[in-house]
Amino acid sequence: MSTQKEELEIAEGGVDYDALEDRLGDTAIDRESHVNAEGFVVRPDEVQDALFALRDDAGFDHLSLVTAQEYEDRYESIYHLKKFDDPTQEVSVVVPTTKDDPVSQSAEPVYRTADWHEREAYDLVGIDYDDHPDLRRILLPETWKGHPLGKDYDQNKPQVVSFKQHANPLKQDHKDAESDTMFVNIGPHHPATHGVLHLETTLDGETVADVEPDIGYLHRCEEQMAQQGTYRHQIMPYPDRWDYSSAGLLNEWAYARAAEDLADLDVPEYAQVIRTMGAELCRIAGHMLAVGTFALDVYGDFTAIFMYAMRDREKVQAVLEDLTGQRMMFNYFRLGGVAWDLPEPREEFFGKTRDFLDDLPEALEEYHDLLTGNEIFQSRCIDTGILEPEVAKQYSATGPVARGSGIDYDLRRDDPYGYYDELDWDVITEDGCDNYSRVLVRMQEVEQSAKVIEQCVDLLEDWPEEERDIQSNVPRTLKPDPDTEIYRSVEAAKGELGIYIRSDGTDEPARFKIRSPCFHNLSVLPEMANGEYIADMIASLGSLDIILGEVDR
Amino acid sequence: MIAQQKTLLPERVAGLLGLDQFGMAGDLLATFLAAFLVGNLMLAMTGVAGPWAKRKITAAFTDRIAVNRIGPFGLFIIVADAVRLLSKELIIPENADRPAFDLAPIVVASSALLGFAVIPMGNGVHLADPEVGLAYVFAVAGIASIGLAMGGYASANKYSLLGGLRAIAQNIAYEIPLVITAASVVIFTGSLRMSTIVQTQAEPLLTVAGLSIPSWFAFVNPFAFVLFVVANLAEVGRNPFDTPEAPTEIVAGYQTEYSSVYFVLFYLGEFLHIFLGGAIIATVFLGGPAGPVLPGLVWFIIKIWAVFLLTQWFRSAIPRVRIDQLIQIGWKGMLVLSFANLVLTAIIVGVIV
Repeated sequence: MSTQKEELEIAEGGVDYDALEDRLGDTAIDRESHVNAEGFVVRPDEVQDALFALRDDAGFDHLSLVTAQEYEDRYESIYHLKKFDDPTQEVSVVVPTTKDDPVSQSAEPVYRTADWHEREAYDLVGIDYDDHPDLRRILLPETWKGHPLGKDYDQNKPQVVSFKQHANPLKQDHKDAESDTMFVNIGPHHPATHGVLHLETTLDGETVADVEPDIGYLHRCEEQMAQQGTYRHQIMPYPDRWDYSSAGLLNEWAYARAAEDLADLDVPEYAQVIRTMGAELCRIAGHMLAVGTFALDVYGDFTAIFMYAMRDREKVQAVLEDLTGQRMMFNYFRLGGVAWDLPEPREEFFGKTRDFLDDLPEALEEYHDLLTGNEIFQSRCIDTGILEPEVAKQYSATGPVARGSGIDYDLRRDDPYGYYDELDWDVITEDGCDNYSRVLVRMQEVEQSAKVIEQCVDLLEDWPEEERDIQSNVPRTLKPDPDTEIYRSVEAAKGELGIYIRSDGTDEPARFKIRSPCFHNLSVLPEMANGEYIADMIASLGSLDIILGEVDR
Repeated sequence: MIAQQKTLLPERVAGLLGLDQFGMAGDLLATFLAAFLVGNLMLAMTGVAGPWAKRKITAAFTDRIAVNRIGPFGLFIIVADAVRLLSKELIIPENADRPAFDLAPIVVASSALLGFAVIPMGNGVHLADPEVGLAYVFAVAGIASIGLAMGGYASANKYSLLGGLRAIAQNIAYEIPLVITAASVVIFTGSLRMSTIVQTQAEPLLTVAGLSIPSWFAFVNPFAFVLFVVANLAEVGRNPFDTPEAPTEIVAGYQTEYSSVYFVLFYLGEFLHIFLGGAIIATVFLGGPAGPVLPGLVWFIIKIWAVFLLTQWFRSAIPRVRIDQLIQIGWKGMLVLSFANLVLTAIIVGVIV
């Protein structure tokens, strides 16, 4: 297996893997090559040693993803590590466990975010993690039998989901009847949970004593569905359904980038410009919805700001509809390019896009007047929902949530793809670490996206007619070499959206794993909300801008 | 203009129908009929405000169209909505505390209606004019808090309980500044009687180019007026002080479990309270039914609708304050300011005037 991998091109990216191997010493028992990075194979009882070494001595402070999978002869957990300072520096830690005793040491003491990831791995694949603080199912109900992504899972087995009351987790801390806390279910049907999220909240008066997000209500087996689709056409429609806030093209790009790198496909420059433009339009749509619903959470009613944000999102959607034929479920990207060229007449499309861009500064000014300039809004949002940068990194928060905490991390710049490195735009960060900063970041990112779109429109207008290649030559059936593994991510509206693919020589992936930014961002909520007022918790939840379709996949 | 209208509505009704010859029974019947008229006027206004005007106003603020399918300007939606709401299933939670759960909506709605009894609405529409009119209207309006607490507690729902607690905390915090600010007006008038308060405001404040500006207390003491309007917003629980309902936090607060006709009663009660608040503002600060050209009753209705419009405007544009901020504004801000206003007014009126 490993001989085959060594033939692959290795993306070195400035990491001295030999030095790392020396540092790991006996901890690393083997070395694998993945398309994106080298992987060190580690014994299941030495995971923490290896990860501590990589984090503290080599600076890999970002656990981007944990992939769990089952082979014919073993289970495997892969820890995909990156650096917040330079995400092109990657390394993987591969932890195989035997079939009979799938127990592996937990990475939670090293990276807090491993908590939810390992729960998911346990839930779906069936690997046990030693030393994990709270190894419960996360996506499926607690009474579920079997692990759906395991090889011996019986899909036809009936499942019983019991209906029982939740217990107050702080009950044992009560001193007497007077010092009572109250358990309250916020969601899954609640006006402020942005979909079907369930917050198991314990209140001490108006203060949140304990909150735990319970997710999985929108789990649609997206990973498994992707594993049953062919690379070329059948997977691309699914990404639109992850972050469905009209940010579909960004998701499609995540899959396109991973699959193109896996199958070594080129994308024509013209198509890259169209992709970049489409993706940034989607980002504006996503951020508009985020700002609008955040205003809804803080204002408490369907106010002017919400409607204005929806109106501006509507305009973006109209442009996107002209481009892709769809308003939300675009299915516009193809491996090696895009589905079709810009709509004819091109001038009309450019005119419409420019009209939207011309109106945008005025619209943003209005948001600033109504929203960020409002004193009550400021008193509600400044210094509430504090997320310290160190905590954000521990939970691998990315996107506007991380940038609102001053973490200067944006894959469009740090790990360039598409046409971004040719264009002139800035990464926005704010140092407030609070709800207000996150709103400011989103609103300024809309400006930057508009800047990118404008440059793309300029480029597309002057593009010579004979060079308008929208797709490169892609084989009818894609069959990447067996046991090729890749992990690639893009900057989606909510943060780092990554895809891990392992091929098995067929035209369908053997393992397809999604790194959802919302999944990580949501896991931070208890850090932001415990000890705060219930109203601030709702505001913090809104400022995280989660889309449950992406959290649950 | 108003000074002539000394007779109250029940007496007029009695006179018109010849009921005054039947003694006590006749008086009672006349009073009942008059109250029926006033009550229906207020309920009709609520009927227009709730299903139709509120939607249209909010839509205008948020670039939408709102109801426009049934009747002219969508006005018949009022009928459709009334039928829809009343025909819905009345769901009562299993563990509800029964008499309290049923009484709460009635208490909320009726407490507001009682308040209108002492409001002079112009053109002789004035049910009663007791000496303690102003105190009475605050007292009955305050009964609503009991209704909210009953509803919040009796629903056996945690969100309702939170909403009920918030409602009480809020009403206590804002009732005091409200009453104290109104008291500063009483220093001018020297009477709690509503008709006297209105009459005092009819005096000309100053004359500019032949145009006489009446001494409405909103002009005499604009500071008190602003204080009163803000405190009133909190008292009726509208944005930015709608924390007892706070849809995004505690679903719908005390009315979470109420459906069908009980919900209508709560909803009705809320709108009646907004209108009662408007009526108090109009009476105490805006000269009651006074105004040029149009009849007094029309002016009075315009004034309370203006207050309603203001609440809807705030609803569309202003964020909600957090509960602790709300309490702080109430106890540390409004209370201090209202007492300062009272003391200053007392000094100015007592020493200078």
